[in-house]
Amino acid sequence: MSSPSSESDRLLVRQIRQGDQRSWKALIDRYEGRLLAFVDRRLHDHAASEDVVEETFLGFYLSLANFDEQRELQTYLFTIASHKLTDYLRRMGRHPLHMASEGAGDVLQNQLDPHSAASSMARGRERQELERHAVIRCLGTIIRQWQDKGDFIRLKVLELLLVRGWANRDVAAFLKISEQQVANYRFAAVKKLTEHIRDAALPADVFPELQDTGANP
Amino acid sequence: MSAINREQLSAYLDDALSDGETAQIEQALRESEPLRRSLRALIQERDRGEHSIGAIWRRERLSCPSREQLGNYLLQVLDSDWQDYIEFHLKTIGCAYCQANLADLQALQKPAEPQAQKRRQRFYESSAGYLNVARDTRK
Repeated sequence: MSSPSSESDRLLVRQIRQGDQRSWKALIDRYEGRLLAFVDRRLHDHAASEDVVEETFLGFYLSLANFDEQRELQTYLFTIASHKLTDYLRRMGRHPLHMASEGAGDVLQNQLDPHSAASSMARGRERQELERHAVIRCLGTIIRQWQDKGDFIRLKVLELLLVRGWANRDVAAFLKISEQQVANYRFAAVKKLTEHIRDAALPADVFPELQDTGANP
Repeated sequence: MSAINREQLSAYLDDALSDGETAQIEQALRESEPLRRSLRALIQERDRGEHSIGAIWRRERLSCPSREQLGNYLLQVLDSDWQDYIEFHLKTIGCAYCQANLADLQALQKPAEPQAQKRRQRFYESSAGYLNVARDTRK
C-alpha cells in the first residue's frame, strides 16, 4: 500500500535537492513508464501524453521544496500527473467541467471556474489537510492490519462501499455474503473512523460516509 | 450497478476511471440533466473544500499493492488470497494507478524500445537546466 517514501527514493530526493543530475535522471528512469501509462490511458495520444509527463517532472522539480518525505514519492508524482492531465483536458475542452455545463450556458461555466471558486472556499486548505491526514492515519492503519491478517473480505467490502460508492445490498450480492455482514463491517469501520476523527478534534460530519448507513444507494 | 453514484462522479472528476467507465459516464451526462445537476453540485461541494473518505482512499492509494506485489501478481507467484485481492483491486475497483503500474511492468517484460531511451533523454533535458541553476545558485 501507499506508504512513506522508500529509503532509496528519499536518498534520490535529497541528492536532487543538492543539484545531482544523475539522481534526477535516475528518478525519471524509475517513474516515467508508469506515469506515461497513467496519462496515456486517458488521452490515447502518445505525443500529448509525453508532453503531460514532461510537465509532471517539471512540476515535481519546481515543487521539490514542498515535498514531504513522509509522503510516498510515487503517490506524489501521480497526484501531479493528475493535475497536469486535468489542465491538459481543460485546455482541450475535454474536462468534466465542460460536461457539467453542457446546455447550461456561460453563466454556469463561470460559476464552475475553479479560479473564481477558489476565493469563495468555505473551509481552509489547512483544515482540509488536517482532515485528510486523520483519514490517512486511521484508515491506512486499519487497511494494513486487514492486509497483514489476510482479512480481504472486510477490505473488499469497505473498498466497494467507500471507493466505489456501492450500496450494502450490491456489495453483499457481489461478494456473496449477507447484507447484515456488510452492515456490520461498515458499522465497525465507521465507528473507528469517527472516533479517530473526533480524537483529532475534527468534526466527523465533514464526511458524508460517516453519516449514512448505506441502506439506500 | 447501472446507476451512477457520487463516488463514480468524484473519480470521474479526478480522471481516475477506466476508459470504459469514463465513456459510460460521459454518455449518461449527455443524456441526463439530473446527472449533470449532481455533477455540478459535487463540483461546488469540492470548491467549498468538502471531500469524501472514498476520494482520500483512492487518491492516497491506501489499499494499493506495492509495485513488487504487482510484479509478483504478474508472475502469479503470490498466495491465492493476495492474487485474488489484487485482481479485484485492478478490475472491480479499477484502480487507475495500479493499472498504470501493471502496464509499465508488462512493458518492461518486453525488449526495450529505442523510443523509451529517447523519451527519457527528452524529459531529462527539458528539466536539467533548472537543476543546473539550482546547483549554481548554491555555490
